[in-house]
Amino acid sequence: MARKIGRREFFKTSAQAGLTLALGTGLAAATRAAAPKAKASIVAVGIGGDYEQAAMKAVSLLGGMKKFVPKNARVALLPNVQSRHPGSFTKPQILRAVIRMCKKAGAKEVNCLSWQTVKQWEDTGLKAVIDAEGAGLKIFEKDEALFKPVPIPGGQALMEARILAEFFGHDLLINMPITKDHAGNKFTGTMKNLMGLNSPVNNRTFHRPNWKTDPNDVAHLEQSIVDLNKAVKPVLNVVDATEIIVTNGPFGPGQLMRPEKVVAGTDRVAIDAYCAGLWGLDPKDVIQIKKGAEQGLGQMDLTRVHFREDYA
Amino acid sequence: MFSASMKVRRASVPAALLTLVLACGAAAAAACQEGSLGAYLPGGASVSGWARDGGPQEYEGENLYTYIDGGADIYQEYGFTRVVIQDYKSAAGKSASLEIFEMSTPAAAFGMFSFKRSGSGKAVQLGFEAELESYYLNFWKGRFLVTLTGFDDARETVDGLLAIGAAVAAKLPGDGREPALVGALPADGLKPGSVKYIKGLLGLNNLYPFYTARGLSFTEAVRGLYDDGTTLLLLDYGSAGSRQEAWSELRAFLEGSERFARVGMEQTEHVLFQDGKGRFVAFGEAETRLIVGVASSATAALLIVSRAP
Repeated sequence: MARKIGRREFFKTSAQAGLTLALGTGLAAATRAAAPKAKASIVAVGIGGDYEQAAMKAVSLLGGMKKFVPKNARVALLPNVQSRHPGSFTKPQILRAVIRMCKKAGAKEVNCLSWQTVKQWEDTGLKAVIDAEGAGLKIFEKDEALFKPVPIPGGQALMEARILAEFFGHDLLINMPITKDHAGNKFTGTMKNLMGLNSPVNNRTFHRPNWKTDPNDVAHLEQSIVDLNKAVKPVLNVVDATEIIVTNGPFGPGQLMRPEKVVAGTDRVAIDAYCAGLWGLDPKDVIQIKKGAEQGLGQMDLTRVHFREDYA
Repeated sequence: MFSASMKVRRASVPAALLTLVLACGAAAAAACQEGSLGAYLPGGASVSGWARDGGPQEYEGENLYTYIDGGADIYQEYGFTRVVIQDYKSAAGKSASLEIFEMSTPAAAFGMFSFKRSGSGKAVQLGFEAELESYYLNFWKGRFLVTLTGFDDARETVDGLLAIGAAVAAKLPGDGREPALVGALPADGLKPGSVKYIKGLLGLNNLYPFYTARGLSFTEAVRGLYDDGTTLLLLDYGSAGSRQEAWSELRAFLEGSERFARVGMEQTEHVLFQDGKGRFVAFGEAETRLIVGVASSATAALLIVSRAP
């Protein structure tokens, strides 16, 4: 019979593996204390038209899902279901791969958490995968009572996040965005995707009246995203860069680009910098990437990142 | 999702279908002038082989954010009134989604159409102007912008988009034309489909970001791309005084910005900068307009500015 681990032991294990899951100040401090000296970031890229295999390849290049998901862990997944237009949501094949890898690693429970509608999950085909794979889909009303305040030490624009309370019943988060165009800041990736776990009311505080046009308001939004990423730290990011919209984002329909890549790693800044480059953006021009790097969330200089790429 | 090798094969609308939808168009247009946008939705037998799938959704004003979370702002900037969304399904199981956006003015509808089109799609005869991409179709007519999205680029799907689009176009009322500013772009060498009509800073930032709001309080703007690789922007401020004041403010920002470097060109009346990506940006003034040329060489940037009226 599998040995059940307590939350304390689980977090210790995660920290020793160089991973971070931090929600709340106490946990964040514990994680920092146990974390080894920073090593060069590793970004893994699985390539190929079979997106499920590409996702599996990317995670295997990092050492496999067992490195991130301990036995009996309760895993929260956060795919993007913003729109059902092609290239605007995380592919069901990638979700299937991640669920299967988590289960194979010994996860006790795998749940997608969301305050989006069931219809969105159905329309994108993600719900069908969740049902078929025996994972859970936990959808919540946009009711503030269902979100838990999380102070953000070091927050510059956002001092407190409000995270889905259900999330705290999970041991770790795997962040699963699709990288794509955004009409406001030109880019969506790992960091912005975490707004899907934060309350819509709190998300609105990111947006000052001219949040897409006034440089000060734009900076406030980008800083808020960076601050949110200080509070919520996925143990792993698996990014859909297979078929993505590079115009008319984030909703689409827009021009499709097909890098046919799944990008995985723990360094959100490095992953986002790599993904931005896929369609010709300079990471320095994406304010959240630049700020994330400046504030220690990760490495923007891709010459300092170790890449592991292979075809699935 | 679907193969990159698949191509759109044909962009024609069956003549019989057009006849049918044109016959019922005028009456429907009058009926929906003030009523629900749902009256513009094709239904019943008006599109052969395709039927409505579920009921329509409608969003008005600020509620657009509920539908297009994160992407509604650009519609609001142009002037959004309301939208209706209806899904369709073919007998063979293909799906399409229809969105009819009612904008505040025909200029707003054209502007949003120009923002959404890539310029590399295929022009088709629908509404006032239409562009078909591999799996989606945009057209505008009067105050309306219509987007049809297929979920693959199979021939049956694309034909369905065109047929549904034709049925909608026939029902929509059709007053209005392109904003006059569009006609101010020199026609010689202008790439078809590259024209973007802009109503605010968000639209401009997506085309050429100045990384400031200072001096960019234009009332309308237009951008065109030219065969020689140059870009021309015309920013209209409504009055010469407003333009002068705005240019002064923008110029001061550019001269103090790390992203732009002033390039001395004493022999020209125009002002020249080089941006962080090495492109030359020339500025000229004409009555209510600020003229901006962007090119890989100083000469080309100055030349395109001098060509503007």
